[in-house]
Amino acid sequence: MSSTAPSSSVSASRVVLSVYMALFFAYLFLPLILMVAAGFNSYSPPSVTQWQGFSLRWFSELAEDQRILQGIVNSVVVATGVILLSLPLGLSGALLLSRLDARSGSLLYGVLVSPVLTPGIILGISTLIFWRQVDVGGGLGLTVMAQSTFIAAYCMLMFMARLQRQDTSLEEAALDLGATHMQVFRRITLPFLRPAMLSAAVIAFLQSIENYNTTVFSIGASHTLVTEIGSRMRFGLTPVVNIIGLLFVTVTVAVAVAYVLLRQRERARTPAG
Amino acid sequence: MRGKSVSLDSVSMRFGDFTAVQPTTLTIQAGEFFSILGPSGCGKTTLLRMISGFMSPTGGTIRIGDADVTALGPNRRPTALIFQNLALFPLMPVWENVAFGLEVRGVSRRDRREKAEELLALVALDGQGDKLPTALSGGQRQRVAIARALAVEPAVLLLDEPLSALDLKLRQHMRTELKEIQRKTGVTFLYITHDQGEALTMSDRVAVMRSGVVEQVGRGDDIYDNPATSFVASFVGESNRLTGTVDSISGGFATVSTRFGTLTARSGPGLAAGDKTIVFIRPERTRLQDTPDGAGLALRGTFLRRDLEGPFINLFFDCQGTPFSAHITNDSRHAAETGTDHWLRIAPEDALALPAGALARDE
Amino acid sequence: MNAVYRSYGPLLGTIILLGVAVWTLAMIVGPQLFMIEQSLWRMEQPDSAVTAGMRIEELNNALSLAQYDLGALEGTTDPDKMAEREKLARSVSAMEQELTTLQGQDTAPVKVYTISNYTEMSGYHAEIFVKTIGASLMVTLIAFAVCYPVAYAAAKLAKPERAALILLGLVIPYAINELLRVFAWLMILDYQGVANSVLLWFGLPEPVRFLDSGAGVFVAMVYAYVLFMVFPIYNTIETLDTNQIEAARDLGASTWKIHSRVVLPHAKPGIAVGSIMTFMLSAGSFSVPHIMTRGTAQPWFSQLIYSKFYDSFYWNQGAAYAFTLLLVCVAFIILMMKVFKVGIRDIAK
Ligand SMILES: Nc1ncnc2c1ncn2[C@@H]1O[C@H](COP(=O)(O)OP(=O)(O)O)[C@@H](O)[C@H]1O
Ligand SMILES: [Mg+2]
Repeated sequence: MSSTAPSSSVSASRVVLSVYMALFFAYLFLPLILMVAAGFNSYSPPSVTQWQGFSLRWFSELAEDQRILQGIVNSVVVATGVILLSLPLGLSGALLLSRLDARSGSLLYGVLVSPVLTPGIILGISTLIFWRQVDVGGGLGLTVMAQSTFIAAYCMLMFMARLQRQDTSLEEAALDLGATHMQVFRRITLPFLRPAMLSAAVIAFLQSIENYNTTVFSIGASHTLVTEIGSRMRFGLTPVVNIIGLLFVTVTVAVAVAYVLLRQRERARTPAG
Repeated sequence: MRGKSVSLDSVSMRFGDFTAVQPTTLTIQAGEFFSILGPSGCGKTTLLRMISGFMSPTGGTIRIGDADVTALGPNRRPTALIFQNLALFPLMPVWENVAFGLEVRGVSRRDRREKAEELLALVALDGQGDKLPTALSGGQRQRVAIARALAVEPAVLLLDEPLSALDLKLRQHMRTELKEIQRKTGVTFLYITHDQGEALTMSDRVAVMRSGVVEQVGRGDDIYDNPATSFVASFVGESNRLTGTVDSISGGFATVSTRFGTLTARSGPGLAAGDKTIVFIRPERTRLQDTPDGAGLALRGTFLRRDLEGPFINLFFDCQGTPFSAHITNDSRHAAETGTDHWLRIAPEDALALPAGALARDE
Repeated sequence: MNAVYRSYGPLLGTIILLGVAVWTLAMIVGPQLFMIEQSLWRMEQPDSAVTAGMRIEELNNALSLAQYDLGALEGTTDPDKMAEREKLARSVSAMEQELTTLQGQDTAPVKVYTISNYTEMSGYHAEIFVKTIGASLMVTLIAFAVCYPVAYAAAKLAKPERAALILLGLVIPYAINELLRVFAWLMILDYQGVANSVLLWFGLPEPVRFLDSGAGVFVAMVYAYVLFMVFPIYNTIETLDTNQIEAARDLGASTWKIHSRVVLPHAKPGIAVGSIMTFMLSAGSFSVPHIMTRGTAQPWFSQLIYSKFYDSFYWNQGAAYAFTLLLVCVAFIILMMKVFKVGIRDIAK
């Protein structure tokens, strides 16, 4: 079947592909390396071309930057709020959809996932306008609402994926043994959903911390870490933000590792099938 | 523990235009081991789910003991269901599975543990309580499911083809065990299966179902020896079949014209002179002879092949285009040769004429 | 509804229904409706207020004239002039009275429903709008071209451990915040950035202004959103049975044929999802143009919306612009669903 001609052209195309992949990953990683490198340059604004020597001064400046520190606190507050709101909403949606027939289910499903497909700025704007009607202005609370609009949909999708793999006869068996619906939910459904809860909480947290486009409209006079960085982008930027970038990578990798470890423990506790 | 009776009064179930269970009236006695036997898709599970409360019948009433339970949810009926796939809770150790019904009733942890151990002993699983269900073998899981159901002291235990996932040996072993548990506890067992062997060996009585209709209810012997319809006759056990027309009926025997000549057979219910009929002859009641002598019709058959079943041998013949089989005990003496002719005699008391109707499809 | 109560019981069933109702009404449908409503009106001076305003101006002029004349007649003893002064004083007080009534009238602007928030998009804004949509389409196309080989390589060519490494390499850049990632590109493409330093070192006479052309937005946007294109495509190609590719090759299909007839058709849902996400993110992106245009290149449409809300406080037109953007995204989703023949359930996975 295989003659020499195709196999040599296959290996040629492999070389092309390898080169392509190398270029692609250079494209992905070069900016990050520069970003981190500039954080250790004592020159400000951040730069790698104007090298003034290795320095750790931006770490200490970060520790003294009250607005940034307040921004971090605010971001964590918002993210916590988003988790507390999105998980129950996403769970309700998933539980409801798992019991609806295809027709009515599809419509509701379309409505509930539509925020995922809507530009973030529009979610921010519409939330801002909606809550203005009852005189609630921009701020941390409004940001929780605006972000949860789409983050809850992500949570719902994760719960749905998990629920699809659930054996409904387990719930029936519990009912048959005399459990109330509440007991079935607490003893059977929730434990089954635990891994999905964990993933959903992690994703919700990361999405919330990272969010800019929605938050910039809903945050009002307050600020989160990311909106603070955003407003400094045009003026007054110092390598402090590069240090934040470095921290972002560290924290995210740490969260990812912790997540993987937790999942493994969870798997060990939860037998397959 | 004491079983209760289950009475169905015109219970039916429709899914849209499709009727899965036709109006059915049936009483299962308290403490009885009752089986519902039928091919897959005939509505057995549907019937069981209506009794357990997972489905509301579209018509009729269901009583358990003296109480009308038609409107009650599954958690408020004195029934416990053994699911086709067992539905053991994978995240709970075996003893928590067994004690789950007690837990939701607010029984203290100590008492639960004690009761669970007691039940595990009953199903011969002593000391396995702390394992996860996945760590057990198929047969052990089966027994956990039974112990879990018995823990809530149900009046009726409903079993939906519980042995279908097990291998043959284990299946046969579990039959004895189930029967034994039923005897010890006195709980009413309603057992669903498409396996006639299971139904006939364990049950006090059997109901045979086809396409949502219960065609016959009776003791195993009854069902086997006196099937009420051509479907029951063809579904339960093996049989040879001859078609014909009823000439006359007298004294419980029908005279039937077939293309092999006239034959006398016991007359089944609902048969009248002039009817088209199917005559059923069990292979083990077919008499294999070298001459056509004796009462009843004798068919001349050409020997085709033999299947060794162990205790008996299954011999296959061709009677002018009609297949015919005979079972003989394996006394290691019979040695027919392919192509030789033999006589197959059908004694009147071994043949049963039934109105021509639906037959079970061979699988 | 019945199925819900049957499965979850009255208490839990009600909680679930309430949760979904709040989410749907107060967080999705309600806000969108109010945004649309906001875009359909504006505050205007009522007509009566306009005429009254003109009359007030007239009176003010006449009044100051009369008062000037009155001042000139001050202290006169001429009876004629005294009478004239009397008359003048009367007309002044009459005018003053009319003025107070007029000024007392409600001249507050009133809410008027109109579609002019949409129709009044100026030529400049319309141009930016068209450019934003066109550029977003380009970004989507480029992202697809860049990502497809990567997704295919990760899904089908690489050995499992290597594929895991590729996926990890794709995810890690996303650990950094979007703003910072984009900012990194600014450091590269800036007038005094890395790219120009390298080019100068190679002997280019003077630095290139990458950012002024808007090309920087492209580069950074593809960079910012590739992940949303790679993963959906990767996921669908992953599910393709490798035997199909080998069977096609065995039957003599060229690499091009294998992709156009086997891999691409199979990857359709993933391409649709990736395109929708990339387009939506690009068209609605605020962060990337915010950083990469630096006020030198033309703004992105999202920046116009932002300035309507936070610079000129003209929410009504801002809402109209936002809704226009949403309509374009919906149209794009529908287009993709038609072109790739996928349903909504395939999309949100
Ligand atoms: N929820 C349902 N909706 C529609 N049809 C159903 C439903 N449940 C069962 N059926 C149909 O009813 C018939 C009987 O099903 P079932 O009771 O499960 O059969 P068995 O248990 O005897 O194999 C089958 O034809 C099946 O397709
Ligand atoms: Mg069944």
